[in-house]
Amino acid sequence: MFSDLSLPFLSSGLLLLIIGAIICAPCFQLRSPRRIALGFLGLALLLFLAAFLKIHSQEEKIYLDPLLPWLETDAVDGLPLVVFTLVAILSVCLAPRRDVRDSSLLGILVLVAGTTLIYTSAHWVTLNLGWWLTCLPFVTGMFGPSEDRKHTSIALIASAVMLTIATVLLHASQVSSLSTISHASLVFFLLAVVMRKGLFPLHSWTLRAFESGPLLPKSLLFNSHLGALLVARAETSHLPEFAHQALYGLSLLALVTALITSLRGLTEKKPRRLMGLVCISQASFILSGLLASNSAGIMGGMLHWTVVALASTGLIAVVRILEVRVIDVADPTAHLGLAVRAPRLATFFLLSGLALVGLPGTLGYCAEDLLFHGVQDHHPVMGVFLLIATALNAINLMRLYSVLFLGVLPKNVIEIPDALPRERWPLTLLVMILIAGGLYPSLPISLRAKAVKTFHLSSPDASHHE
Amino acid sequence: MNATPLFFVILGLPLATFLLLGISWMLGFSVGEKCIGLTIKTIYAVMFLAFLALSWQLYQDADHSIEINMGHWFVLDHYEYPMSFQWDAVTMPFAGLTIILSGIVGSFSITYLHRDPGFLRFFLLLVLFSFGALLVFTASSLDLLIAGWELVGITSVMLISFFQYRPEPVRNALRVFATYRVADLFILVSVFLAHQWFGAADWARFREIALDGSVAGVSPVMMTIFPILIVFAASGKSAQGPFCGWLARAMEGPTPSSAIFYGAISVHAGPYLLLRAEPLIRQSSVATGLLCFIGLTTAVLSTMMQRISTDAKTSLAYASQTQLGIIFVEISLGWHTLALIHVMGHAIVRAMQFLRSPSMLSDYHRLHSGAGGELRATGAHYDRMVSDRWQRILYCFTLFRGFHDAFWDRLLIRPLFFIVRLVEKIELSPSKDKRPQQSGASSPELPVRAKRETI
Repeated sequence: MFSDLSLPFLSSGLLLLIIGAIICAPCFQLRSPRRIALGFLGLALLLFLAAFLKIHSQEEKIYLDPLLPWLETDAVDGLPLVVFTLVAILSVCLAPRRDVRDSSLLGILVLVAGTTLIYTSAHWVTLNLGWWLTCLPFVTGMFGPSEDRKHTSIALIASAVMLTIATVLLHASQVSSLSTISHASLVFFLLAVVMRKGLFPLHSWTLRAFESGPLLPKSLLFNSHLGALLVARAETSHLPEFAHQALYGLSLLALVTALITSLRGLTEKKPRRLMGLVCISQASFILSGLLASNSAGIMGGMLHWTVVALASTGLIAVVRILEVRVIDVADPTAHLGLAVRAPRLATFFLLSGLALVGLPGTLGYCAEDLLFHGVQDHHPVMGVFLLIATALNAINLMRLYSVLFLGVLPKNVIEIPDALPRERWPLTLLVMILIAGGLYPSLPISLRAKAVKTFHLSSPDASHHE
Repeated sequence: MNATPLFFVILGLPLATFLLLGISWMLGFSVGEKCIGLTIKTIYAVMFLAFLALSWQLYQDADHSIEINMGHWFVLDHYEYPMSFQWDAVTMPFAGLTIILSGIVGSFSITYLHRDPGFLRFFLLLVLFSFGALLVFTASSLDLLIAGWELVGITSVMLISFFQYRPEPVRNALRVFATYRVADLFILVSVFLAHQWFGAADWARFREIALDGSVAGVSPVMMTIFPILIVFAASGKSAQGPFCGWLARAMEGPTPSSAIFYGAISVHAGPYLLLRAEPLIRQSSVATGLLCFIGLTTAVLSTMMQRISTDAKTSLAYASQTQLGIIFVEISLGWHTLALIHVMGHAIVRAMQFLRSPSMLSDYHRLHSGAGGELRATGAHYDRMVSDRWQRILYCFTLFRGFHDAFWDRLLIRPLFFIVRLVEKIELSPSKDKRPQQSGASSPELPVRAKRETI
């Protein structure tokens, strides 16, 4: 079951991110910190990709890092780590200049390092350490002053505290794995998931985080999908029966979140909040899929994880790019008609958004097809509600698109540049990945097949057979 | 000759053109009008030749049906997404119409949209629409049909808002999109139910079930629910029954797109779906009755609305809706061949009428002078059939579009928004009424003309 990686890919990748964070600190006064950060992130991506390819090609379930055995990678978290690092690279690349000044890059790299630590953690200590590390940039205000800092920090710290209590309770009962988890520990564990994932009724902090403050770091925070990762880890840990029932409750909560946020979007007017609602709603589908207890649902959830990460990054990046060009984007009083001046940005926005809500020909369509089939098999009514939520999200997305890009161009917007080469190439890459994945979905499905198998081996039915 | 390469040409060319033109534009390369025009003419000419060759093969085939199996789009354990297509007597006319009329409209638009800022956008959407429509008409299962169905829907909405600098097209496009999404829910639910209840969602399976009469595990309720969902899905695409409000709003798009979408191809996807699912619809008297009722009521309402329309395109849209209603009735009565002929005839005539609509005044004057300067108004006998009082009542009724929009606003939209506001009130958000302080976005140094160094 356990094996060592041939090279210390994980520890080296993590080390690179930490070194990058230190070098990008404002005290070093670098001339081009963005390029240096991109270099470190690129090298880390290559190392994580190598680790993932190793897992994918071998039969072993879990690979430990030869240098730091507290770090591991497996089929479930290997690809999401690669995707997350790619998303981080794209975010740094697409960030407007004002967003990579001062300590912002340091904050982003610390956030990525913390998330990497969580993804690769083989021990509760590293998991908790990573969890706290991801809170650090927001709590210490590395992304500059913002109105939401207090609320975001409280929510993140609360989630970290819940996880720490769950860990302490787990260790107090001399248990190191989730397979013999106690009721009390499970409650705190689930609370950590609900807080971090932003499930109803605790979703408003995520919405508020979207509403104000730095958008791209929030996108990275949102797209780490740590709540989903915890659930995936729990589902692959031979949980006791009562824990499975609790997770079923969690999947219902995810469904309620998806539906309520999609409904809420109908009356929302501010672009950031509307975009936040669409992203939260679509991200809630991931949990419904992962907890569907069948291959189609789990695979759908996993593919949707990738789709949400990539597509929401595209959406958020375009909105941020527009914000720095046109002041009215923050709170438009009428349609802005920006497609006339920025047709490429409009296209990137539309394609990313439609991929997020499952446009045929994109990876989002395959993910949602599998997800709905899986959820429908598991619970037909839930499946119908997910369909309604997707339909409403698509309407919300088109509303947002029409407010930003269609209509009469305001007279005060004289001239704004369309996507610059620095923005155009990463956005094209992002859209290409989504389209290529949609036209040839067998590749992403084969890359996640081993993870689905891991889920099956840990399901209650498989345990009974054993 | 093998049918697969020919079929691959028909379906693959528009998609390849869309991807090639789209990606090169996204990366910053510019493509000239001449190049686009030549590409469009060439691909539709090649597709037409492939269509002729495939139709010849169909004529020679003993079963008059060619199955093209391209494996599976993706497979996961027991779940398979089939990539199988069918070329038969129902597919051929619809696919032929799509290729021929798209080619004609494409050629027409090269001149019509000359120097328009959205020239490339129009042709990108046209080829994507052609791909979607061909996918709908050639798919051998509901799974694959949905992919094309949604592509047709999204391209339709994008073309309604083609003149994006005017507020009306934008508002109407959003309304049409919302209607499409609601109607698409019916087809999405139906495909999932088909998999659960019938084990598959392909036409062959539907025919099997209809022939067997009773299938193990399939109750009469299921055999009623499924066709009803299909009827509503088809109604959504063809602007019938509860969804009849969107077609007039869709007239905001450029005339060539109105011709291909709302005169010729897109609106006829509904009857196509009904013709495919007809064996199952016939099993349920409720679904058949519903289909007939929807068709009949829409036809009557639309023909009245057409008579009071004051602009050419809206009048043509209601005329289309009327004919589609009659086609629905024909299908419900089991007159499939008549329905198919009606679809073909209607699509061709209506597309021509739409394309000629910008020249309507010129046409009228030509006809007027051709008739020796005397053209009398027609239809006076209708006036004599209905009393003045009833004429006034009917006029008011049709002026408000049969109170259709008001009905749905009160029955669906207002209650929905009431629920949303209720949810908004219980949401734990301390900031929802405050205006956000955007970092950067509203920073005081931000100029209206964005400084390049800050971007």
